Amino acid sequence: MILVGELSLWVALLMAAWGSTVSFAGGQMRRADLIESGERAIYATLAMVVLASIGLWTALLTHDFSIKYVASFTSSNLPIVYTIAAFWGGQSGSLLFWALILAIFSAITLWSNRTRNRELMPYVSGTLALILVFFLATICLGSNPFERLDWIPPDGRGLNPQLQNPGMAIHPPNLYFGYISTSIPFAFAIAALLTRRLDAEWLAAVRRWALFSWFFLTVGITLGMWWAYVELGWGGYWAWDPVENASLLPWLVNTAFLHSIMVQEKRGMLRKWNVTLVVSAFLLSIFGTFITRSGVISSVHSFAQSKVGWWFAGFLLVCIGLTTYLVTTRLRDLRAQAELESMVSREAAFLYNNLVLIGIAFSVLWGTIFPILSEAVRGEKITVGPPFFNTVNVPLGLLLLLLTGIGPLIAWRRASVANLKRQFAAPVVAAVVIGVVLFTLGVRNLAALLSYTFGALVLTTIVQEFSKGVGARHRMYGESRLVALPRLVARNRRRYGGYIVHFGVVIIFAAFAGMAFKREYDLTLKAGDAKTVADPWGHSWTFVSQGISRYNVLNREVTAIALDLRRDGKSAGVMTSEKRQHVDSRGAPTFEPSTEVGIKGSFRQDVYVVLAGVRNADDAEIRVSFNPLVRWVWVGGALMALGGLVVMWPAADRKRVQSGYVTVLKPQHLPPAQREPDLVGA
Amino acid sequence: MTLSRRELLFRGTPLLVGFAVSRRLPAQSATQELTGPMASAQDVYRPVKLEPKPGAGASMTPLERDDLEHRIKCQCGCVLDVFTCRTTDFSCSVSPAMHGDVLALVAGGYGAAEILTAFQTAYGERVLMAPVKSGFNLLGYTMPFMALGAGAIAVAAVLRRMKSRAPTRVATVPRVSATNDELARLDEAVRRDA
Repeated sequence: MILVGELSLWVALLMAAWGSTVSFAGGQMRRADLIESGERAIYATLAMVVLASIGLWTALLTHDFSIKYVASFTSSNLPIVYTIAAFWGGQSGSLLFWALILAIFSAITLWSNRTRNRELMPYVSGTLALILVFFLATICLGSNPFERLDWIPPDGRGLNPQLQNPGMAIHPPNLYFGYISTSIPFAFAIAALLTRRLDAEWLAAVRRWALFSWFFLTVGITLGMWWAYVELGWGGYWAWDPVENASLLPWLVNTAFLHSIMVQEKRGMLRKWNVTLVVSAFLLSIFGTFITRSGVISSVHSFAQSKVGWWFAGFLLVCIGLTTYLVTTRLRDLRAQAELESMVSREAAFLYNNLVLIGIAFSVLWGTIFPILSEAVRGEKITVGPPFFNTVNVPLGLLLLLLTGIGPLIAWRRASVANLKRQFAAPVVAAVVIGVVLFTLGVRNLAALLSYTFGALVLTTIVQEFSKGVGARHRMYGESRLVALPRLVARNRRRYGGYIVHFGVVIIFAAFAGMAFKREYDLTLKAGDAKTVADPWGHSWTFVSQGISRYNVLNREVTAIALDLRRDGKSAGVMTSEKRQHVDSRGAPTFEPSTEVGIKGSFRQDVYVVLAGVRNADDAEIRVSFNPLVRWVWVGGALMALGGLVVMWPAADRKRVQSGYVTVLKPQHLPPAQREPDLVGA
Repeated sequence: MTLSRRELLFRGTPLLVGFAVSRRLPAQSATQELTGPMASAQDVYRPVKLEPKPGAGASMTPLERDDLEHRIKCQCGCVLDVFTCRTTDFSCSVSPAMHGDVLALVAGGYGAAEILTAFQTAYGERVLMAPVKSGFNLLGYTMPFMALGAGAIAVAAVLRRMKSRAPTRVATVPRVSATNDELARLDEAVRRDA
């Protein structure tokens, strides 16, 4: 099976190359047989990549240590779930995983468009096959997971202990889904540019995929933050690490696109901009992969330095060149179909929101590559860490939060002063009240203060919108408000799903702002020692060491500390934290020691304890952090994902009213006072 | 010349197969793993020692010192600051050594700015978690805002141009004058007939 898998890779490469060639040729020559052959080639590529994947999984599960990849990332005593997850734990396996998912997505795209978008599909399948060719060539020629060792080691090296975490088993696939699914909108964009069919048709085809990508990037990023928080032990969830940034970039661009696409759908505007965003999301996914795999920028997450990264750099440059050429030569076809009527309108607000989102994406990209730039210009290495990113991105993030509240309240086309007054009264009052209350309570951190103030504005906006909608249904259909709420969401999932996402954004910003009040302590405790420290809420916490214990479990040697906790003098339970030295099946150490964090969480704060190490047999060095509101980050992430699901959920088929249908109401005479005069823009 | 797909397949495949077979697989790096603390102290640690200021006491509280250590990057090869590295990763011998230097400088009466400068002199600018706000680095700090500003100007220009071309009155959406009751009956009628 392993040999079959290895050979399948080469056949898959040939199939993809064939598919790409005949798809483009078929599209150009308008030959149905070539187009059909190209599509079949993609299905065949999928079958071959599935075979290759089964081959690698077989090698992993049968512990075939003659294969270098298996020996490098697994060991006989590795739990089975991580043995399966080792498929994407290393460079070449993760590339094969990428090819597998891309082939699946490509096949789904072809299948779901077998009767639609037929003018575009030859170029869509050609582009997807070309991307597959790149990945399969990289695997076959640059990083082959089936490469064999000259000798067979008795056991493998095992998986890095930091990757032996349930979150890590599912976090990378989610991110990969997010990255890879940007390929589909990219392929449609290329097809639309090549065929000059740049109307709304291609957009309708890509919107769901862009949303799919956004959803999985959201889930992947949130899971990644959770993994970093519970596993790495440095006390936070986001460090502005280049690889973290790499995942944020396509997410930001996708977010911008999902807003601006509405403007094109409603008004036929921002056509150039939307093509650019779709292309950029894909290019940034490739850029992220280049960063992760080239070792050009040091990162805690990256794979070992490898030439494969430069393959991605080359591919990225080719894609940039090609898309720049296509876009610039089709500017005439991308002209807007409508003009903006007012700078105070929903479409203008989306434009401002896009500007800020892309501004943040640019600043993240800029900060990520600035060390390279600085070294090239000045010859001096510098570090661009969290202080830089916070300085630059906090103001931009706050501006974005403010726009999240403003945008949905402004009417399409043109907002009147009366409309603005009516819509903004409650949100502005709520924001001012929250700001004043927090200031009075002593909150002096400007970023946190603004974050909660703007958050209140957005939250009131959302509540106001739901309340209006539910009230309208209640009045029109006589539904109870509890019944009206889900029906309201079901009737307009895009709008109300979007509000759920905005609600998640507010929660996340509130949680981020909470970290401004974080407290950290560095304690040394002997068995029986007690140390008392204060948390940000003014409570005193006493940590009493119950001593150090050492024991062996499965594939690791554990050094653990147990701490008795007292909050304001009252017992608050026991916490433990561990240092783990992983060993192979012969007991030899593998990897650096890792940390198992002790977390006592609540919605108010996490008490976060890390055993840094032990000196002189029983002097435990521990770090205690009080991290306010962290749990709300996971809640916010879950809400955003839920909102995304609501938006994505397929619509039930509705019976359409025939065109030409006329409804005649019997006239009813009402006094003028009861008439609602202005329904424009409702 | 027109090639059928079968001809193309037969002619193209041997070429590709030949290339694939003749290609020798390049050697991969022996280890593919997460990077992390790996340097020993003697490789990368550089003492940062200054004579204590005469009659000086500790220049800052322990909390302020911890904050300062968040601004100094550990040189062990990790991507963490000194405080986080030394309190997270006990296997690192570099961050405790750097912490020792910070302690001595604080006890010697040196302020945060002086300590950062001393570290920068010993290690270079890379020892700081964020570049100093001067010279070329200013470009790093200001570029995102300049880009945003340029974007805002461009957007404003586009909007102004569009606005000037747009019709002054909206005539496409007719105004609807109806009571809630009328709207409800309309909706009900549409639903019933649909």
